[in-house]
Order: sequence, then structure tokens, then C-alpha cells
Amino acid sequence: MRTLKALWAIPSCRFAFAVLGLVAFLVVFGGTLAPHDPLKQYTDQVLQGPSGDHLLGTDYVGRDVLSRLMAGTRLSVAGALEAVAIGAVLGIPTGLLSAWMGRIGEWISLRVADTLMILPFTVFAIAVAGTIGNGLQQAMIAVGILISPIFYRVTRSVAMGLRRTQYVEAAELMGATQWWTLRKHIWSKVLPNVAVAGAHATGSSLLIVASLSFLGLGVQPPAPTWGGMLSSDLGYLAQQSWAPIFPALLMMATVGSLNLIADGIRDATGQRRRRRGLLSRALRRGDDLRVPPQRREQRKESSDAAAA
Amino acid sequence: MSVAQATTDTAVPAAAPSRAAGGRTTGSVTGWARRFLNLLAITVVVLLLASVITFALGAMAKTNPAAAVLGETATPKDIARMNHQFGLDRPLVTQYVDWLGHAVRGDLGVSWFTTIPVTDSIKQALPVDLSIAIFAVVLAILIGGAAGIGAALSNGGVLDRAVTVVCSILGTLPPFVIGMALIVLFAVKAHLLPAGGYVPFSESPTQWLRFAALPSLALSLDVAASIARQLRTSLVGALRENYAIGAQMRGFSRRRVLFGHVLRNAAAPTLAVIGLAIPLVVGGAVMTEKLFGLPGIAQLALDSSEKGDVPVVLGTLLVTALVVVIASLVVNVAQTALDPAARRTSDAAAKGAR
Repeated sequence: MRTLKALWAIPSCRFAFAVLGLVAFLVVFGGTLAPHDPLKQYTDQVLQGPSGDHLLGTDYVGRDVLSRLMAGTRLSVAGALEAVAIGAVLGIPTGLLSAWMGRIGEWISLRVADTLMILPFTVFAIAVAGTIGNGLQQAMIAVGILISPIFYRVTRSVAMGLRRTQYVEAAELMGATQWWTLRKHIWSKVLPNVAVAGAHATGSSLLIVASLSFLGLGVQPPAPTWGGMLSSDLGYLAQQSWAPIFPALLMMATVGSLNLIADGIRDATGQRRRRRGLLSRALRRGDDLRVPPQRREQRKESSDAAAA
Repeated sequence: MSVAQATTDTAVPAAAPSRAAGGRTTGSVTGWARRFLNLLAITVVVLLLASVITFALGAMAKTNPAAAVLGETATPKDIARMNHQFGLDRPLVTQYVDWLGHAVRGDLGVSWFTTIPVTDSIKQALPVDLSIAIFAVVLAILIGGAAGIGAALSNGGVLDRAVTVVCSILGTLPPFVIGMALIVLFAVKAHLLPAGGYVPFSESPTQWLRFAALPSLALSLDVAASIARQLRTSLVGALRENYAIGAQMRGFSRRRVLFGHVLRNAAAPTLAVIGLAIPLVVGGAVMTEKLFGLPGIAQLALDSSEKGDVPVVLGTLLVTALVVVIASLVVNVAQTALDPAARRTSDAAAKGAR
């Protein structure tokens, strides 16, 4: 709660919350509030520009772009959130455990994370679609599995750092069970880092989901999604070169807001961060390396994992 | 190749010069051997795990060759015959060992539909992606390097802010949207470059360049943004280190300090960023293929995935993983070769972390 209040005090975060609030609103009500049926084809009004009837114009079979954008928000966002949830469920417990697993278990879990990190999202998702089947669930599980190393690494690096602190050692010496230490001392420190990683991961998984629907994986047409809309715009760039702007803008705003909030959480919870937010950097002199090197190293590992 | 090592290494070099004098106690030969063996073990294990994941996907496949090829008219006898022909009636472990054994020798089986060897199809498609991806990495280093150095030199100035803003915006867009914007700009509006198509490099390098320029540029911008960001951060930090200030005080020009001293130290974390970006580049190459209609791995994988041609799909995944691993190894070696500090610290890191 205190963190939320601190976040609200940062202007850029307030803006980001507003954008995300709008997106959340669209997720819930977008389909019902859409002015037209997102699947209805006005065949006499194909590839129209914005007009009073169709505020953002129509696509190549005459479907209303605004309605498709509003109705498509749900599937796009829900898919990304599902993938992140799967990644978190897989990554966080293994990350925590890896600090206690002993050398061999640790080595193996690190190698599994390495392996998942080298598999490119697109090729892996194609392979999953080709073997297990092409659908939203399969694609999201695939993305979730590949995202899990982000959470694994972040959790692990924090847990490793805390493992050697004196108060954890003291708790262990006093006979606290591992479960107690984990819950009391480790989890509260892990949570902000996980939140930052989660915000970044949600942003990137939105982009990945869009990329996959661009390739025809995941949500099947004609169901509207942001990525699917962009993909269908591709064939008509010569006639309507501005059409991709609307879904792209909405996606940019969402992902950008998530990144701003991630930066905000980092500030609010006292984690040092690698670089300042976009706004503060654009407005003021950048001076972001006042942190001692060892802090920088720790921080870098988490932010690099998040960047990947 | 270890990504773990790469991430722990990234931040160290900025601090490294101060402890350059220490850490020489272990013999450098054993250090190298240890490091090499460690790297080898990691690479082998990662490749093995990748093959297990790939094979597991195949084992979970709903399609089998008989149903896929013969359709609904297949009798149980036909299915059994086909399964036997492709060796699918054996225990999974035997199948895996057999499959891996063949894969190591470069035989990934044959397509269920066309019976064309998978290796042949991949051999035809892979150069397209490889040439695009390599070109993209070169472009990314050039663009990102220039932007990063420029931003670091004008720390806080207009150029720095511009680079920051552009990088942040690029980071919020999926790569294919960048590609679409480039198509609109260069192909639809300006008619400078073709919006799609491909000519192999071996046929005509200039034509190849014409067709590869847009896909590679689209692919490179994302990575260029990460490179610029990392390079700026490490350069700003390194320029404030004592050795850089000292060199400047001794009267070396700013440019000489930057290119002669600082850049070398800042290069290692940047290389680590490139190493982390390789899966993205290879995965992104797949995306640009679809965008620009290139006859590469993605086309092959997507076609066979639609048909349910499991051997081809598995082959593409395995080969892609191999490509990423090899590329990461190259980056890792380059990192070590370029920066002696990274060599020392990663020795220490290897001992500390494992």
C-alpha cells in the first residue's frame, strides 16, 4: 500500500496508471462498448479513412477499426498476462530454491535457464504449434516457459545476496526453519524485484504475443487482436500506409506505461536503478552512476535479466 | 557461451581497472584450461537440454505420420505400418538416443510428407536467415555504437536526450512494426528499395544487398537501441574513472582517451548485451522473413507446422538453438579477447559462482 502511494507521487507513474487504467477498462468493457460489431464486414466501405461513422476507418474487408481495436484489447492483454503468470509460477520458486539446492542442483537449474534463454520465442512457438497444436493456450504456455528464466534469475540473484547477510544467518543460527526464513526475511525483499521484472516481462510478453499473432500463431483470425490487426494491415500498406499506426500507438502506450511503472517501483522501493526514466532523463541532466560498483553489479544482473 | 557468466560479467569491467594488479596469483594456463572446460561443459549440457526439449515436443505431438499423410482413410494396419516405418513404435528413450545420434551426424530424418531429408531443406533455407542476421548485427553495432558514443560524449546534451528517447520508443514496439514503418518509408513512399523478395548472396551481392537492406535494418534497430543504452552507461561511468581523468590531465585529447582507453573497457558489457540479444535477432529474423517474404527457416517451419510435419519442425528448432549457441560462443570469445579485465574477473566469477 505504501509503495502504491509512493508510486502515485511520481508524475510519470500517475500518467502510466491512467493509461493502464484505460487499457484495463477496454479489457473488461471494450467488446461491449465497441460502436460496431468487430467482425461485421461493411463490404461497400472497404479501406476507408476515418469518418464520422467509422472513427478510425475500416480495414480490408470493411470491418470497423476502432471496434476491432477495443474488442481486441481483451485477448491481447489476457494472453500476455497469462504468459507472465506461467513464467512467474515456474521461475520464482525455482529461483528461491536454487539458492538452497546445493552445487549440483544449482548448476543444473542454471543450465536449464540458459537453455530456455537461447531458444528464440518465435521458432519455439512455431514448433509448439506444429507439434502440440496451434491455439492461444499452447502459445501462451510456450511463451510463459521461455519467460520463466527472467523471474528465475531475478529471484535467484536477490536470494543469493540475502543468503549471506547477517540477519538471515542469525535467524538460521537461532534455529529458524528454512521455510520461516524464506517467508519472513527473503520474500519481502524478493517481491519488489519480482514486481519490477514482472512489469517489464508483461510489456515484452505483450510484444511477443503481438509478434506471434502476426505470424498466425496463438489467437486465430477473425478474432481481433492488436498483432492480428497489424498483420492484416501489412498487405495493404500501399493503399493505407497509416493504418498500422493505431494498434501500434495503443501497444506503445501500454508497454511504455508498464516500463514507467517498473522504473517507478524501483524508485519507490529504494532499489537503485541503472538509468533514469525516460521523462526525467529527457528533461534533466543524466547523472546515473553515483552508485558504488558492487551495488551496480547486483542491480545490473536483475535489470539485465529483465531486459532479456 | 554461458549467459549467466555474461550477466555477471557485464558490470564488472567498470570496477576492474582498480583491481587489475591483484588476481594474478593462479597460473594463467590452468585458468584458461578451467575456463575452457567449464565453457565446454556448459555448451554441451545446454545443447543436450535443448535436444531433450525439442524431442519432448515431438513426443507430445498429436499428429502421427499415418494420420497426417493418409488422412482419414487410414486403416489401423496402415497406421501401424507407417509408425513402424518411421520408428515410432519403439520406446521413447530408444527413439531419443537414435534421433540424437543421427542428429549429431547431421541427419535430422525425412519429412513425413515429401520424404525430402530435413537437413537438405534446412541447408537451403538457413543461409537466408544467417546472412540477414549477421548483416543486422553488423548494422546494430555500427548504429548502436555511434549513437552510444555520441550520447556519452554529449552527456546530458541534446544528442544524449534524443538517443534516450528514440531508444525508449524503439523498446516499446514489436520489431515487425518497425519493419512495417521502414516498408512504408523506403518502399511505398520513396520507391528506393523493394518491399519483399530475395536474391542469394552467392548469386549477386549487390542485388542481395538491395533485398537484405530493409529486413536487416528492421532487425537491427532493436538491438542497436540496447547497444546504445549499454554503451552510453558504461562509457559515462568509465570516463569518470581515475585512469580516464588521469589520461586527460596528462594532456591526451578527449578523443584519444575515449578510443584508446575507455572504449576498450566499455566494450565488454556491450558485447554481453549483444550476446543476450542473439536469440532475439535469430527469432526476429523469422519475423522479418514473414514481413518481407524471404524464403528462409520461418517459411519452412510455418509451412510444416501447419501441415503437422513434425520432423521438419523439430529440425528447425534444433538447428536454430545450435546457431544461437555458436553465435553466443563467438561473442563470449570476442569478449575475452577484447578485454583482459573480463578474462580475470570471469575466472574469479567462475570460482565464486559455481
